[in-house]
Amino acid sequence: MLGRKSARLAAAGVAMALALSACGGSDGDSGNAGGSGSGGTLTLGSIVAPPSLAAAESSWANGSPYVQAVYDSLLRQAPDGSVEPWLATEWSYDDARTVLTMTLRDDVTFTDGTPFTADVAAQNVLRFRDGTSAQASKLANVADATAVDDTTLQITLTAPDPGLLTYLAQAGGAQASPASFDAAEAATAPVGSGPYVLDADRTVIGSTYVFTKNPEYWAPDEQHYDELVINVFTTAQTQVNAIQGGQVDATNLIDNQSGPQIEGAGYTIQTVELNWAGLILFDRAGQLNPALGDVRVRQAIAHAIDRDALLEGAAGGLGTVTGQVFREGSDAYDPELDDRYDYDPDAARDLLAEAGYPDGFTLEMPFFDIGLDPAFDLTAQYLSDVGITVEYTTIALADAFTQVLGGSFPATLFYLSEDSTTWQTAQVSIAQGSTFNVFHQPDETVAGLLSTIQTGSEDEAAAAATELNEYVVEQAWFVPYYRAQLGFASGPDTDVVLQSDNAYPLLQNITPAA
Amino acid sequence: MLWFVLRRLAAGVVLIVAIAVLAFFLLYATGGDVGRRILGPTASADTVAQKNTQLGLDKPALSQFADWASGAVRGDFGRSWFTGQSVSDAVTGRLAVTLSLVIGATVLTAVVAVVLGVLAARRGGWVDTAVQFLSVLGFAVPGFLVAILLVLVFAINLDLVDPTGYTRFADSPSGWLSSILLPVIALSIASIVGVAQQVRGSMLDTLRLDYVRTLRSRGLSERRVVYGHVLRNAAGPALSILGVQFVGLLGGAVLVEQIFAIPGIGQTAVSATVGGDVPLVLGVVIATAVLVVLLNLAVDLLQGWLNPKVRRA
Repeated sequence: MLGRKSARLAAAGVAMALALSACGGSDGDSGNAGGSGSGGTLTLGSIVAPPSLAAAESSWANGSPYVQAVYDSLLRQAPDGSVEPWLATEWSYDDARTVLTMTLRDDVTFTDGTPFTADVAAQNVLRFRDGTSAQASKLANVADATAVDDTTLQITLTAPDPGLLTYLAQAGGAQASPASFDAAEAATAPVGSGPYVLDADRTVIGSTYVFTKNPEYWAPDEQHYDELVINVFTTAQTQVNAIQGGQVDATNLIDNQSGPQIEGAGYTIQTVELNWAGLILFDRAGQLNPALGDVRVRQAIAHAIDRDALLEGAAGGLGTVTGQVFREGSDAYDPELDDRYDYDPDAARDLLAEAGYPDGFTLEMPFFDIGLDPAFDLTAQYLSDVGITVEYTTIALADAFTQVLGGSFPATLFYLSEDSTTWQTAQVSIAQGSTFNVFHQPDETVAGLLSTIQTGSEDEAAAAATELNEYVVEQAWFVPYYRAQLGFASGPDTDVVLQSDNAYPLLQNITPAA
Repeated sequence: MLWFVLRRLAAGVVLIVAIAVLAFFLLYATGGDVGRRILGPTASADTVAQKNTQLGLDKPALSQFADWASGAVRGDFGRSWFTGQSVSDAVTGRLAVTLSLVIGATVLTAVVAVVLGVLAARRGGWVDTAVQFLSVLGFAVPGFLVAILLVLVFAINLDLVDPTGYTRFADSPSGWLSSILLPVIALSIASIVGVAQQVRGSMLDTLRLDYVRTLRSRGLSERRVVYGHVLRNAAGPALSILGVQFVGLLGGAVLVEQIFAIPGIGQTAVSATVGGDVPLVLGVVIATAVLVVLLNLAVDLLQGWLNPKVRRA
């Protein structure tokens, strides 16, 4: 595509090219789409640049294509989130589920020639646990990792961890060559055993990442392209322009409202719902705002919100109204819980009166730009209707997470992810030590149910998950409004199977059109 | 002359040091929790604290500055906190991209502005009126709007060039030209009208001087009078404006790079400043300051070459 356009301009531009030739950039590359038939170039769009390309500092979710391009993980996930063999071909737990033994492939070599062994795998697991990846805490239960022999890895846990296999299929299981561990350029010159190798000369860190096919890859059937380019888009308009100009084969979307323009350009948009938007009532014990310490007040807030109207007003209807924080399809999910708190301002007022707040109260919350602007206004309006006055304090997005998670506010509007399993979701927002249980409020019922999920049989864990969800909904620590749609656009030459538990499709599921 | 150059360079070094100190402490004052910004909301508090320690953010401000400065004097400007890339690599690679836009826009500005300015000054009448009208229009329409319109018309609707991205000259000269054409035009519009006005005014002033009448009375062709004498004398003020415009274009490149998704220094400056990536911001600030100091020096030397009176001053 670029060549055709360039040819049209070439004649007219020769003089200018000569005049300016001295200042051609030494770095950078176009975001031009390559043909994406079998082989060729796959050009992906991304809405984030990775904070590091080093395995021990890598992230997942929107950062997963960068990790997957260079690194293999011990396990990998099917589109439905289930775990499959990869570098580890077999695995088993001991009876206490605190020792995981994995059998590893013996035919894998890193791109620097170093063989992949159980000892290398053990080092990678421990480095990730001790590193500064955003997901490092997911391996917090790992007490040790050792090589029994060259192809047998043993991971010892301080306590059973129902999420461990999933974590080892994501960034937590990414395997880097030990030669790159302490290299000065580790963050920008990754060395893995994965399907592609970073082309550092053509990569502009932060903007354009170019990968070429690993010629020695042990699983050549999984290499669908000769070259992979990932372009970072930071504004919705630029992303739409690139799509309309045919410069990307597939990309996740910054703004779902651009759907008609994108489909008009011949792209297909698939959607997945992985995050819920709504209120998080952090102050479960009423430390900052005594009213929130009363469950009836929290339930009143849930009754005061018209979720259907909010979905329309804040997200243009692109999502699904919900009343629970667990993902559809997980053990905990119960569709009936979505209707536990219908829009009923009278019921809200009654509950407030019962709790001793017949005239309402004032609720302090932060206001920051996370793409939920209409929801902030509508929330204040609905709560005002039942007598609750919302006072917003505007904070900069750059410091929003610090302030929100630092216990400065009793509640906030937020997007929170719905992880694959009940256990994972609980570790993010419900358990005493979780990040979004900001005041680290203990709860015996939650602790007991999580213990069952952690150590019980499969059936016991599933029953406990359902019970946990009912309890969390009843406590109204969260007032979810809707699950927001994440859009992923792909051009006519590219087939994409979305990942049920990840914001970005996994690389092996982006293929040339059949 | 050498003494003049050395004096200007020494003043430049002092300026750059002052700017670096100021930039560091301004960024420090507004720093906040960088580790949380890098790792996002779901990272644990322990990991965030570990990240901050890894970056040296648990040290006092003066100690952080001393660490950075001791590296900087040895040419080691550290690594970006948000990507891990060496600041030197990040800045030099991206500065080259931005310079290709800014120098391209400056050349385009110089050529078009001189043509328009000379035409308006010499022809007068409707030509002058038209140039004046275009100037007002150029001033009135914001550069980013021009950029968006250019993308819509020439990249999306007419499909003549790609709407986003940058191609290296070394990879494809025609691709490179294609990738910078619209950004350069978008960047140039405002500076063209500014410089054209300056050229027009200077030309009109110079054309009225006695020596021009003398040259004409000696039988020199009008072309030689205008291009050999008048334009050279009128070029001084225009050159000064062009120098100022060059610096302005560096600022304008910030928006244009965002709109065209061009990996230049402007795009980096915005993201690094918003995120609080202190080493990268300092690298960008110093690189820009060095560029401006050298540019001003070059403009002064060029002025001296054009006008002997400047050399004596």
